[in-house]
Amino acid sequence: MALSRDEIFNRVKDVLVEALGVEDDEVTETATLSGDLGAESIDYLDIVFRLERDFSIKIPRGELFPDDLLNNPEYVDNGKLTPVGLEKLQEAMPHADLSGFADNPDVSRMPEFFTVGTIVNYVERKLAA
Amino acid sequence: MRWIWIDAFTEFESGRRARAIKNVTLAEEYLHDHFPGYPVLPPSLMIEGMAQTAGILVGEAGGFREKVILAKVRRAEFDDYCVPGDTVGYEAVIETMDAAAASIDGTVYRNDAKIGSIALMFSHADQAATNLGLPEHNFVFNDQFMDLLNTYRLKSRD
Amino acid sequence: MKFALVDRILECSPPERLVGVKAVSLAEEYLADHFPTFPVLPGVLMLEALAESAAWLVRATNDFACSVVLLKDARNVTYKSFMKPGRLLRTEVTCRRMAPGESEFVGTGYSDEREVVKARFALRHFNLADRAASMAGVDARIISQARERFALLCSELQGHQPVKTTG
Repeated sequence: MALSRDEIFNRVKDVLVEALGVEDDEVTETATLSGDLGAESIDYLDIVFRLERDFSIKIPRGELFPDDLLNNPEYVDNGKLTPVGLEKLQEAMPHADLSGFADNPDVSRMPEFFTVGTIVNYVERKLAA
Repeated sequence: MRWIWIDAFTEFESGRRARAIKNVTLAEEYLHDHFPGYPVLPPSLMIEGMAQTAGILVGEAGGFREKVILAKVRRAEFDDYCVPGDTVGYEAVIETMDAAAASIDGTVYRNDAKIGSIALMFSHADQAATNLGLPEHNFVFNDQFMDLLNTYRLKSRD
Repeated sequence: MKFALVDRILECSPPERLVGVKAVSLAEEYLADHFPTFPVLPGVLMLEALAESAAWLVRATNDFACSVVLLKDARNVTYKSFMKPGRLLRTEVTCRRMAPGESEFVGTGYSDEREVVKARFALRHFNLADRAASMAGVDARIISQARERFALLCSELQGHQPVKTTG
């Protein structure tokens, strides 16, 4: 079944409204999960479980949200991603727009780059694969 | 008031589902505050009953190695309430479970009639996340909970 | 143990908002079970504190018209941190909808300005006499005790700050 990006967006929106208790109109393409939609760490896990169920996909740990990479001391130096770590992140997240991250790869800034669009892109790629 | 909100397991399928019951009795002192003249089991304690049923189910599936902590109540809905003389039933089914978290779908019964549904998420408490000086040993699964499971296993062997 | 999860009301602005406090103390016996060697306020009691705060707001709004106020549903209840004895849980509840028999709220609990719990929930409120006329006496008793308790929770005697009540 080939879903259009719009259809995927609407279903992702339903997941986020259910998981986060936010209003429909708060879920825009550029809304950040933590900053704008108030997602906590358990909510990220909730979102992954619901996406797996709703889209019948399997999301391996760290594929949508690369928390293991961000917590890996091999790639993080003084709270910032090393050049190798940044490269690994870019490889791991083709679904994210990381253009604003490279100049200051502070790990604590990462949530700014997890947007609704990031999830829609991920699901689109996953379904097309 | 002890913090044990289930009395016995009636069904236990490792890694899949479990059912536990809790009797409501006037002997429980807090009921006399909630409310005076109309004692009723607080819904928040029905959520805890489900959490304990589901927590033991999830914990057992992992050999009780992890500290399984209630992290989120996705949804809890109640159409009726339980009063002294009732037996509350909690049926917990594991929906998804991985190394980081588990999600449970639960149904609440009042004397075998369905009165509500409760969906929960558990995660594993870990030192790094909380930095609150968690004790090393698994304080979550203490004797009370282990006894409940052991009693069920002994009974089902007969 | 007494089942009362609000110790003080700091602010009461019916029908919109109420701010309460639940103090956590090792004297609460159930803490010995939750957990042994690591006593923390159970998450469901954080939710109960939010629900009770909202229930007081309902009673203040409808002038104690209903005796029984119970949780109808709760959603997106997330727990961010543990609460240890010696800490105060500040509960802030905001009403989204208030009707005679039902109400909806969003609530957040704070410990030292740090968010420890947030929830969306609904309450149902009724009188026992609605179902059985013979229970009218029980309603009256519950309401009378509730009025007394509310006065205590709001009393200026409880703290240094005068309680702001509007509406």
